[in-house]
Amino acid sequence: MISTLDSANVLICIGSGGVGKTTLAASLGFLAAKRGRRVLVLTIDPSQRLKTTLKLSDNGDLSILEHPNIRGKFSAAVIDPKKTFDEFITRAASQEDLAKKIIHNKLYEELSTTLSGSQEFTALEKLYSAHESGEYDLIILDTPPTKHAIDFLNAPQKLSAIFNEGVTRWFRQTDKNSSVFINFFHAGTRQVLRALEALTGSEFMHELSEFFENIQAWQSKLEDRINSVHRLLISPKTHFCLVTSFDPAKLKEAAYFGKEIRRGGYTLSSVVINRALPSWLLQTTSQQMTHANSVTTTALDKKFQELKNYYQERDLFYRTFTKELILEMKNEDIVFRIPEFDRDISNITDIAELAHLIENGGLQ
Amino acid sequence: MEINFVTGKGGVGKSAVAAALALRRARAGFRTILVELGDQSYFRDYLDLKEVQYRPQAIKIGGVQFDLAQWSGQECLKDYALHILKIESLYRLFFENAVSRALVNVAPALPELSILGKITSGPPRNVGPKLPYDVIVVDAYASGHFMALLNAPAGLAAAVKFGPMGEQVRSIDSVLHDQEICHFYVVTLPEELPVVEGLELAHNINKRLQIKPKLLLNRCLFFEEELLTELEQENSAADHLPSFSKYLLELNLRQRLMQDRLLKSGYSTETLPWVLSFDTKNVLEKLSQELKI
Repeated sequence: MISTLDSANVLICIGSGGVGKTTLAASLGFLAAKRGRRVLVLTIDPSQRLKTTLKLSDNGDLSILEHPNIRGKFSAAVIDPKKTFDEFITRAASQEDLAKKIIHNKLYEELSTTLSGSQEFTALEKLYSAHESGEYDLIILDTPPTKHAIDFLNAPQKLSAIFNEGVTRWFRQTDKNSSVFINFFHAGTRQVLRALEALTGSEFMHELSEFFENIQAWQSKLEDRINSVHRLLISPKTHFCLVTSFDPAKLKEAAYFGKEIRRGGYTLSSVVINRALPSWLLQTTSQQMTHANSVTTTALDKKFQELKNYYQERDLFYRTFTKELILEMKNEDIVFRIPEFDRDISNITDIAELAHLIENGGLQ
Repeated sequence: MEINFVTGKGGVGKSAVAAALALRRARAGFRTILVELGDQSYFRDYLDLKEVQYRPQAIKIGGVQFDLAQWSGQECLKDYALHILKIESLYRLFFENAVSRALVNVAPALPELSILGKITSGPPRNVGPKLPYDVIVVDAYASGHFMALLNAPAGLAAAVKFGPMGEQVRSIDSVLHDQEICHFYVVTLPEELPVVEGLELAHNINKRLQIKPKLLLNRCLFFEEELLTELEQENSAADHLPSFSKYLLELNLRQRLMQDRLLKSGYSTETLPWVLSFDTKNVLEKLSQELKI
């Protein structure tokens, strides 16, 4: 983990929702800045408390954090997907009125805000432009919450499918003044389009064809961008960090993800298991534990046994998982555990404490 | 027909709660289906199944049976298309065409709309193939993505006023607004972040549909009277486990605080236990017994 923080140019924290990615990204950023690097942490949708701690504003402005331990520079920013997408379109479209036309298309609104893939694209777009600026030694990206970790990597391809040459060509050749589709196509395609019209109606088809007609202007630019971003993602200086919780089903998913990410040619340098063991269990000495084992008469002792057994059983899942993952990734140090804190980590002192813990190797 | 949408922040246990609700309805004798959304299945790993598909499969827990399926936008649209187009060959032509397949995946709002269309296809709409169920439990997307799903019909209704799409959109939206049919559950945890996000989500659902969701505070540790007494006594048995006692006291305080916050919000609230087990079926049994819904 430390060598990644000292040498990588980009670190992408990836994982399904609710596993503590954002807090971890902030702590890793703090640690790298403490070790002397110029760091930017990019995040989507942070909690209100973390926003206050990192002095983040919603409009995407950069905030620079001061702390006596920071030797490098620690900056952070929130990604505003709608704004980033609009900016990209405006830059990519050659004429201003063309950009306006796209931005005001009703389906574009849906595309830029809700379509799966657009949040991921904007996150990567922001990452790429920050990387291009050359102002940072390390950029840490906290990815948007997805149901599954792998969704993030698949998103750009999903988005670029919109620009699938076939689809755009269909709609460019439609004639909005006569019946929706005139005879540009061979009979098969015509029938397919008729079927779609029967399903959705001509009004929807008009919106759709206008949409595809307009995006033609930035089709090649977007494809270029997706390609350059992909090159950045598979560069050996770009590392991935998978964050997961200790839920057995989530661990299975993490193992699957490890395989996929290797297949895709990305560098997975660490798997962080967050909230691995509660601090009360770690702080309980073996003497206290023996004592509790011998006198299980009080309600407290019973509760202790119950919870201790639960966490010990969970640890068994962890051992199986770690063994498999080390074998798969051929890396002894890939798994990194972080204990469960008794409180929400939200102020700068907590973040510094978590950073310190990571620097010392996490939970042994 | 009863449709239950279960949502919440990621990682709060909404899938388990949704499955427990399905089990509860099935035990009461209703024909029940548990539906998960998206392209990849959670229940496959959670229930240790070979796969979860669009076509429902029977799940048996403690002698009670219900159906489980995974619905993606593409499959739902296919189902609907077959019903509307009627001619199998035309339908096949459409879905086997590579370009139209790509289009179905990317046309804004189409996947979301297809899914909602399928979920609401029973009475009173009665559109498409028959859904032989009394109860549907949807293990829905997490917060932001769930609102995008709910907003898809309204956004499209504004863009498309006429034609089959316009009609479908309006009729789906009217079912979503029907309190007799649709019920919304926001699952959350006794922690700061999930509670804040859960309340925000509940407000958004209420604002969008004028239906008050029910809040479910999941994974609360149960404190017996005896335990509380021991913890509060000075020089008590608690002394030999200092860290653990401190943790329990803080946890108890936090749980009560979060419960208060949910109660004050004006939404009806229910507390669910933290089941200390990794035996999935056992967890679902316990949760389904505790659910009061």
